[in-house]
Amino acid sequence: MAKLHIDALNKSYGETKVLVDVDLAIEDGEFLVLVGPSGCGKSTLLRMIAGLDAPTSGDIYIAERKVNALAPAERRIAMVFQSYALYPHMDVLKNMTFGLKFTGVPAAERERRVAEAARMLRLEPLLKRYPRDLSGGQRQRVAIGRAIVREPDVFLFDEPLSNLDAALRVSTRVEIARLHRLLKATMVYVTHDQIEAMTLADRIVVMNQGRIEQVGKPLDLYYEPANLFVAGFIGSPAMNFFTGRVERIEGGEALVTGPCIGSVAVPAATFSPGDDLTLGVRPEHLGQGAGAFSTSGMVELVERLGEASFAHVRRADDRLMVAEIRGRDTPAPGESVTLSAPAQDIHVFDARGRRLAATPVNSA
Amino acid sequence: MLKQRAETLGVHVILIAYSLIAIGPILLVVMNSFKARKAIFGAPLAPPNADTFSLVGYAKVFHASHVVTYFGNSLIVTLASMVLVLLLGAMAAWALTEYRFRGSTALALFLSIGIMVPIRLGSVAILKMMRAAGLNDTLTALILVYIAQGLPLAIFILSEFIQQIPKDLRDAARCDGVPETRIFFEVIAPLLRPAIATVAVFTIVPIWNDLWFPLILTSSDSTHTITLGVQQFLGQYITDWNAVLAALSMAILPVVAIYVIFSRQLISGLTAGAVK
Amino acid sequence: MAEPMSQVVASMPRGRFLALMALFLGPSVAVYTLFSIYPLIATMALATYTTDSAGAYAFVGLANFVTLLADSVWSKPFWNAAWNNLIFFAVHMAVQNPIGIALAGLLSLPGIRFKSLYRTAIFLPTMLSVVIVGFSWNLILSPLWGVAEGALKSVGLGGWFAPWLGLPSTALATLALISVWQFVGIPMMLIYAALLNIPDELVDAARVDGLGNFRIFWHIKLPLVLPTIGLVSVLTFVGNFNAFDLIYSVKGALAGPNFASDILGTFFYRTFFGYQLQLGNPTMGAAVATVMFFIILVGVCFYLFVIQRRMRRYAF
Repeated sequence: MAKLHIDALNKSYGETKVLVDVDLAIEDGEFLVLVGPSGCGKSTLLRMIAGLDAPTSGDIYIAERKVNALAPAERRIAMVFQSYALYPHMDVLKNMTFGLKFTGVPAAERERRVAEAARMLRLEPLLKRYPRDLSGGQRQRVAIGRAIVREPDVFLFDEPLSNLDAALRVSTRVEIARLHRLLKATMVYVTHDQIEAMTLADRIVVMNQGRIEQVGKPLDLYYEPANLFVAGFIGSPAMNFFTGRVERIEGGEALVTGPCIGSVAVPAATFSPGDDLTLGVRPEHLGQGAGAFSTSGMVELVERLGEASFAHVRRADDRLMVAEIRGRDTPAPGESVTLSAPAQDIHVFDARGRRLAATPVNSA
Repeated sequence: MLKQRAETLGVHVILIAYSLIAIGPILLVVMNSFKARKAIFGAPLAPPNADTFSLVGYAKVFHASHVVTYFGNSLIVTLASMVLVLLLGAMAAWALTEYRFRGSTALALFLSIGIMVPIRLGSVAILKMMRAAGLNDTLTALILVYIAQGLPLAIFILSEFIQQIPKDLRDAARCDGVPETRIFFEVIAPLLRPAIATVAVFTIVPIWNDLWFPLILTSSDSTHTITLGVQQFLGQYITDWNAVLAALSMAILPVVAIYVIFSRQLISGLTAGAVK
Repeated sequence: MAEPMSQVVASMPRGRFLALMALFLGPSVAVYTLFSIYPLIATMALATYTTDSAGAYAFVGLANFVTLLADSVWSKPFWNAAWNNLIFFAVHMAVQNPIGIALAGLLSLPGIRFKSLYRTAIFLPTMLSVVIVGFSWNLILSPLWGVAEGALKSVGLGGWFAPWLGLPSTALATLALISVWQFVGIPMMLIYAALLNIPDELVDAARVDGLGNFRIFWHIKLPLVLPTIGLVSVLTFVGNFNAFDLIYSVKGALAGPNFASDILGTFFYRTFFGYQLQLGNPTMGAAVATVMFFIILVGVCFYLFVIQRRMRRYAF
């Protein structure tokens, strides 16, 4: 159990910058998820915490101890890999004990730890089997078991579920959440799957192009995304964006109009007439009827999922927006619809993509 | 459907025909080595039967040459070279693919010269060197030369295999605290077993079969290999067909036996995509 | 892009890293340098010396090469051997590689049974010593035994038989064909492996498009394995210009009849070790080896810089 602290971490390969000035503090016992599109640097960051890759500059502290110069084994971390990385020529028992031999754990203690981990992960019947005889889910449990027996300060997971099929992914996700409660260990978990991130994390770190876009609790990210990237990345289907321009300032409010939106009033604080901005509305907040914000278009496609349907609507600017429609009464393709959203569900982003804290107040 | 079956049949006819061309001559030699002289010439294509069976050729080979010694020498030279080529080759291949350091690419290039340039062209200097070192006419000289000959291709093949081993494995081992040398010997090396067949075909079989270096580096019966021994025996007894056929068969049969036993692994190793 | 050095290696003390590299690379580099690279260089150096009757060496620059290429006593047999070697290579390219490609193509057809049996049989001769193969064929083609003649007679072609290995006009081609018979397994195997790497979907897609097996092979598979065919060709080239065992064991160092089957390998051997009453000449032998080295080097460079550059490798 330990805190993890990352200070001004940079990584570049020649001209390409993989990580740019990453600062991060992870609390003792926290489950932190690094999420972002592929190539955003999340795996590199994890590998640097593990000591598998060297940072170009910056420091990493585990349990208040600077670990930059330490080998992975000396950092008291354990890592679970996407490919499981089980030693194919060793049985499950050997896989779990192999590393302990080199870190000076006595035989009796090794046995105790393996027995405990095997019980926790229901691996007892598999101990004499070889990786090739195990299913994907079993292999993943062995890989997790191999991490547990090391009794590390920090667990590192590198997309551990992405090689599993959908059903197994859900059950293993639940398993990992249970383990975290049980072990109360610090865990850093990398994924590109926002559902994994939302369900597992105490806090989520959203990364993009080597930078941290936002750090926060899952629902905070959902309701208060810091910028356009996070707003678009968290939530599925993604948030709809509408461009607009400030028409005039009136009574502390900026009146905004745009190519496919009716005029809307937003707090004027930082705006002056002529400023460009972006409004964001999540599909589930777009409904048929009247509201502070309104837009219209022609329905192109309706995806029916059961509990809801997604209407893909072609807007005046020729882009598609998605509205979530509850119930059996869905519009038909070809139909023109007017969609609206209540004031509190509209996100306002300035020209640089930063979200403004307050929301629009009423329709103009 | 009919056309497809005719096509399949045609393919089999061609493959059977070529397979016969490939093994027919070998079968012919081996078959006739078990026959009496008269039957060899009278009915060369007939297999030996109770009347024509004879081991006179084999008796002659055992009597007139040191075939057991030759065989032992070949075994020593080939096995020693094989173990060392595999061990040293795998270690070098691992170091070159895993550890990047200044000059590692240059070193890899340097080591690959030997894939294309036959070591035979250095024979003049090798002979001089071995004489100077007092190693001429020893099996050690042969083994050293064969290691040097086999290493470049072995390193190349093993590097390709090593690149196919998931990088996560060595990362996992490092997280587990396994020392670097043990990562190679306990994690990587055991996974290279499928490569042995490929390395064997391309570097070990040529060593067993080599005539050139035994010819120039060994001069006494006690250091001749089976290939050289048989070659010299054949030259000497060229008119004694029984003995010649027996000597040929004795050189063929062990190789064929080992080949047939391991052919599945050998061929799957070859086609596993090691040499692309 | 080269994989970046791992933190583990980067943070290792320099001395320990050097010791590790010395352990892993030292023995290989030492044996290889000492017994492969040094002899090559020493041989080339020796080619610039000459010996007198007392055995003393004297530096003569490129004089040995001038002698070899221009003095008719040396140049006639040299050019004869070089020309024969070229024919030897041409026969391999024209016969061995097409047969190997065809066999690999047949073996890679879907639904062919007994594949491994066929592969085992066809690859078998490759495993044998060239000496053994040479002698075996020597017997089979010998008019004394009459096996070949008998076989031809049985299919009504008895009149075609001739002691091919003994005739100056046919000895070289016959030897080349024996070598083809032995080594056809190598192109077959390498190309077969390359064919296996072509994804099934690609072949299925072509089949859905209405292409038959032959057209699929010709238009889809063959272009995709061209890089392997290039590799096979350069391996054949190096092997052929380095060949020795077959001709030495069938025809002896004199590569008869009347040097009709003499190639560079046998010529090198005679020059260096001597034959019959002729004494060996190490410095001229070294010169021959050096020339062979450059021939092989030219071939390999041609492959690396002309052939390989133009061939695209497809990633599947």
